[in-house]
Amino acid sequence: METKRSFAVQLQILTKRLVLRFMRRPLAELPNIFISAFFLFVYDGALGGVFGGSAQGTPLDFANGNFVNFILPVSIVSASLSGGASGIYLVEDIESGVFKRYQSMPISKWAIILSPMLIGALRVLVQAGLIMVIGKFIGADPAVGTVGFFVVLSIAFLWGMGFAGYSVAAGVRSGSSQGAQAASFLFFPALFLAPTFVPREALRGWLATASAYNPTTYVIEAMRAVMVEGWVIDVIAKGYIAAGAFAFITLSFAVISVGKATEKA
Amino acid sequence: MLAVDVKNIKKTFTSKQDTVEAVKDVSFQVEQGEIFGLLGPNGAGKSTTILMLTTLLSITKGSASILGIDVETQDKQVREKIGVALQDTGIDPILTGRELFFTTCRLWGYSKADSEKRTNELLELVGLTDAGERRVKTYSGGMKRRLDLGLSLVHSPEILFLDEPTTGLDPGSRRVLWDEIKRLRDSGVTIILTTQYLEEADELADRIAIIDEGLVVAEGTSDELKAGIGGDVITLSFTTTEDLEKAHKIFPDAVQEKDELRITVADGATKIPGYIKQLNSDGIEVSAVSASKPTLDDVFLEVTGYRLEGTEEPVEEKPEPSRRRGR
Repeated sequence: METKRSFAVQLQILTKRLVLRFMRRPLAELPNIFISAFFLFVYDGALGGVFGGSAQGTPLDFANGNFVNFILPVSIVSASLSGGASGIYLVEDIESGVFKRYQSMPISKWAIILSPMLIGALRVLVQAGLIMVIGKFIGADPAVGTVGFFVVLSIAFLWGMGFAGYSVAAGVRSGSSQGAQAASFLFFPALFLAPTFVPREALRGWLATASAYNPTTYVIEAMRAVMVEGWVIDVIAKGYIAAGAFAFITLSFAVISVGKATEKA
Repeated sequence: MLAVDVKNIKKTFTSKQDTVEAVKDVSFQVEQGEIFGLLGPNGAGKSTTILMLTTLLSITKGSASILGIDVETQDKQVREKIGVALQDTGIDPILTGRELFFTTCRLWGYSKADSEKRTNELLELVGLTDAGERRVKTYSGGMKRRLDLGLSLVHSPEILFLDEPTTGLDPGSRRVLWDEIKRLRDSGVTIILTTQYLEEADELADRIAIIDEGLVVAEGTSDELKAGIGGDVITLSFTTTEDLEKAHKIFPDAVQEKDELRITVADGATKIPGYIKQLNSDGIEVSAVSASKPTLDDVFLEVTGYRLEGTEEPVEEKPEPSRRRGR
C-alpha cells in the first residue's frame, strides 16, 4: 500500500538510485584517483629524499623524518575534489529530464537536489580513503595514531562537500554538465597557491600572501598537524573552520542557484 | 465531477528580449474515463498546456482544476492524482527497467514487498518482463515509451497526461502503445494526450480539441468535427496552372492545395457533373475529380487553413483561426 514518504526516506531512495549509477561507472572514478595517487608517488619520489629521513636534524626537517606524512594531505585534498561530481550528476538529471519526472511527483525538490550532493560525499570518502590506504602502504603513519586517518578523512569530507556545492552551483548556472566539469579549474590555484610542498613559513612574497587567504592552506595545515605533529588543536580547528565555512558558503550558493533554476516558470 | 476543467488559460514567457504568448486562450472540459486529444502542430501550445495542467508550469491567467482540485494552489494534491509521461521527461539509462519501476514505486510510498509486486505487475502490463533486468540504454525507442508509460502508472493515477506518446515510433510500436492506451481508458483511467498525428487522434481520442497558435480552434468528437465541415469534399485536378487559377476564380470559396482545388459542399457526388460542365464551358480542362467524406485532415485544413502534416507549405494565406464547437 502507498504511504506518505518522509523527506529522509525520499532522500535515501534517490541517493540509492545514484549509488547504483556510481557503481556502474567505476571507470569514471579512475582519473581522479590516478591523479591523486600520482601526486603522492611523484612528490614523495622527487622530494622525499630531500625533506624525508635524510633531513632529520637539519632546518629542512619539517616532515619529522616522514615525507609521506607531510605530502599525503595534498593527495587527500586532490581526492576530495571528487565531490565535484555532484554538479555533474545533478545537471545530467536536469538535462535528461529525470529531474522533471521527479518534479511531477509529490516528492521534495530538495531531496532531488541533495541526493547528488550525498553521492559527492560518498565519492570523497571512497577516493580519499583509497589514497589513505595507498599512503599507509608506502609509509604514512599519523603522529596522533590511527585515529588521525579518520580526522583527516573528516576534514576531507567537509572540503569535498564544499567542492560539491561549488560544482552544483557552477553546473546549474552554466546549464550543462560540461560547465560543472570545467569549473574544476579552480582546483589548481586552490591546491598550488598553498603550502603544498613546504610549510607556509618557507613561502615568500606574493605566494605567502596568497596562501594566507587561501582556505586550502588551513585544510592542508590541519591535516599535516594530525599526520606530522600531533594534536595541535588550534591548527586543526582552523582546518575544520576553513573547510566547514567553504562548504557552508558553496552549498548555500548551490541551494540558491538550484532553487532559481528549478522554480516554476 | 469533471476530470479536467480548463478555463481560459494563458501562458506568457517573458525574457529580457521579448514576450512570447505560448498559450493565448485555451478552455476545455474532460469527462472522467474518456481519452481527450489535443491535436496541433509543433509550437501550437499543446505541450505548454500539458505542463501547466501537470503543475510543472505556472498559469499566467485563467484557471484549471483536476478532479475539482485547483492546479495552481494545490499542486501537491494534483500530483497525487495524475500520471505524467512528457516528451522530455527522462529515464535514467544506467538503471534497469526493474530498478526504475522499483525506485519509482518506493518514491510513491509502496513498501519494499509491495514495490516488488507492483514492479512485476507493471513490467507485465507494458510487456517488458523479459527486458526488466536489462539496462534502459539497451531498450528500443518503443520499449522506452512503454517503460515511460508504465512509470506514469505506478500509483494507479486517475488521470494520465501523455505528451506525444508515439512521436518517433515505428508503426508497429505505435500500434502497441495505442492498444495499451485504449486498455487503460477501458479500465477507467482518464487520458489527456497531445498528438500531431491526425490518425492517432482519430483512432484514440473520444473527443478532440484542435489547437493552433495557442488557441482552441475546434472541439468535439471526430464525427462531430467532420460533420461540422458541412458536406463532402470534391477534389478537382487540372492539367495546367492557368486552368487551376481560372477555376479558382469561378469557385472562390474553394481551397487551393498544390495543383488541386477542394470544394466542400453538401451531396458532393451529385454536384460534380454540374461543376465539370461549368468549367468545360469556360474552356478549363479538368484532369481528375473525386468526391469523398471529410477526414480529420480536412477538418484541420478547414479550421486552420493549412494541413497538419507537411505544415511547412501553407496552403494559402493563413486565415485567423475561427472557433468551432462540435457539441
